[in-house]
Amino acid sequence: MIGLGRMGKLHFLNASHMNDVKVVAVADKNKRNRKIAEKHHVQAYDDYEKLVDSEELDAVIISLPNFLKRESIFYATEKGLDIFVDKPLARNLAEAQEIVRKVNAGNVRLMVGVNYRYFDSVQKVKKMLDEGRVGDVVIATSELIMDGPFSHPLVPKPVPEWWFDKEKAGGGALLDLGYHLIDIFNWMFGDLELEFSTLGYRFGLPIEDSATVVLKSTRNGVNGIVNSGWFSKMIFPNFNFRINLNGTVGYVSTDHFAPRNLYLHAIKEATLNLFRRAVGKRVHYLSYTYYYASFFKVLDQFFEAIREDTSIPVSLESQLEVMKAIETVYRQNRGFASE
Amino acid sequence: MSDVVLTKAEGFTEKEINETVSRALDVLGYDFGEKIDSVVIKPNLCYYWDFSTGETTDPRVVSAVIDWVRQRIREDVCIFVAEADASAMRTKHAFKILGYEKLSHIKDVRLLNLSEGEIIDRNVEVAGEDFVLPVNKMLLDADLIINVPKLKYHRLVGLTCALKNMFGAIAKPRKYSYHNRLAKVIVGINKIVKSNIVLVDGVIALGKTPKKLGVIMTSDDALAADYVASRAIGHNPSRIAYLKLGMKEKIGDVSNLNLVENPTKLEDIRKEFPKQNYLLHSLSWKLQLKLLKLYSKMSEDVIPPILNDVG
Repeated sequence: MIGLGRMGKLHFLNASHMNDVKVVAVADKNKRNRKIAEKHHVQAYDDYEKLVDSEELDAVIISLPNFLKRESIFYATEKGLDIFVDKPLARNLAEAQEIVRKVNAGNVRLMVGVNYRYFDSVQKVKKMLDEGRVGDVVIATSELIMDGPFSHPLVPKPVPEWWFDKEKAGGGALLDLGYHLIDIFNWMFGDLELEFSTLGYRFGLPIEDSATVVLKSTRNGVNGIVNSGWFSKMIFPNFNFRINLNGTVGYVSTDHFAPRNLYLHAIKEATLNLFRRAVGKRVHYLSYTYYYASFFKVLDQFFEAIREDTSIPVSLESQLEVMKAIETVYRQNRGFASE
Repeated sequence: MSDVVLTKAEGFTEKEINETVSRALDVLGYDFGEKIDSVVIKPNLCYYWDFSTGETTDPRVVSAVIDWVRQRIREDVCIFVAEADASAMRTKHAFKILGYEKLSHIKDVRLLNLSEGEIIDRNVEVAGEDFVLPVNKMLLDADLIINVPKLKYHRLVGLTCALKNMFGAIAKPRKYSYHNRLAKVIVGINKIVKSNIVLVDGVIALGKTPKKLGVIMTSDDALAADYVASRAIGHNPSRIAYLKLGMKEKIGDVSNLNLVENPTKLEDIRKEFPKQNYLLHSLSWKLQLKLLKLYSKMSEDVIPPILNDVG
């Protein structure tokens, strides 16, 4: 485990609960973050290079700020390790291409944690699409609007400074949240082309806090609208995410498959898990949260690929296409930033 | 005797807010006394949620306060808009995100981070306990402090208004560490730093949800302002720990309160306020976390780090 920030801790806990996965060691500069390792009797390092050099590993999970991804992926690749990394793949297209070239040359697996593909509701919508249940899709719309890095945890901590730095973050709401929606559009329809885009700067930061992007799939002519934003105060467990596919035979939405009441969903799933545990079955980790369950699933897919020695389910070509679309949006909107 | 003035804007335009703020301050009729060279305005900028959420002070309200100060004191008086870093908030970002950087350029006022510069440790005694609170010297030296809190419900203490807003002025960023003796620290900081004028921003008030109320309340006594505010949001002041302690410690005077309801009535605000049941809400949060931890123990399922600081 490289990086034990908010997402890193989640991956750590998830990996610790997976079959046939052993978390050997963690690395984080922050002493307080490393405490989680002590609690779980796992070796902790303050430097990931020391960790990679000292331990016998099959893979690393990299959960570092955007500006530290490239060098850490390079280091792990040189040591021949398979890599799971949080989205986005990189800060910009050139960096993403560099990373992909490196891992291809190093012949290692690299999987980007596009967890939104693994929401039950998204999987069900994709299945209906593949089965032709809504006919030919003509218009797809999607929304992911919350507070992003500005979400307020129960134990308050400052938002990490790198999020406010355009150079270090690479982008704002589009790169952070829009990335998922563009990835899903590309996964469902393919061959992306950018038709229109606009970015919003309500917060007056150098990075955008909202983005509207219109895409076209040149493969089948589907138009897609992607709305992403960091501007909305959101208290867990609420969150604002949906994919709607409008086809020649009606429409389907992730809202059709999402729990109507997240509290009732939590009670139901928790009860089922207690039952599973009582009868010796495997607990469905984090299923009670709906949102966080997808993080477990996407990481599980990565380890499944390693276990079975197969290729990873999220191709790097698809991630380059997402990065390319985002880069085009930033180019189109250059000069409109708040600073 | 403490004065509390309740007013209501007719609409939500900048002009209407400006007129209401000016009227509320004029009706209060604060006596400036000696020559005033420096004024510190302390809004509530607790986090990066802007005024539309009801969480933070509307910069249009602060803008109106600045206009009033210049008209009633003098044009060249030195005005600071001040806030301190908080456990999860950094003032430099809050000023930018919440529109105060823009305001400072338009109005030519200085922004002051109360966690930076010369910090003085001040001793205070509350309910027999002595403790030390770090306070910015600029705040201690100010000739006039105008406290501009929000009118809002608070999950931990029931109400956050004038007294709690000064808690936000303590220089130490990690104020979360005071939460185990919150009432004492709130009263303590208000003993050290006295708000001369309180102007409560209830333009968008926050209870169960935010609601546009257009309410502006002024007072020359922070305790009295909070006493009225707690009634406005439908809570009994004597059930709010820091208000009860503040009354006991006599940091203000609510025994002889002159409430000017012009033109709005306290009862009307109470009816309109989107009330949140404090006890039920507070219990429900604690209960949810306890149940979650129990479930996690029994099932060995994971608690997301956002809900449980696993470190």
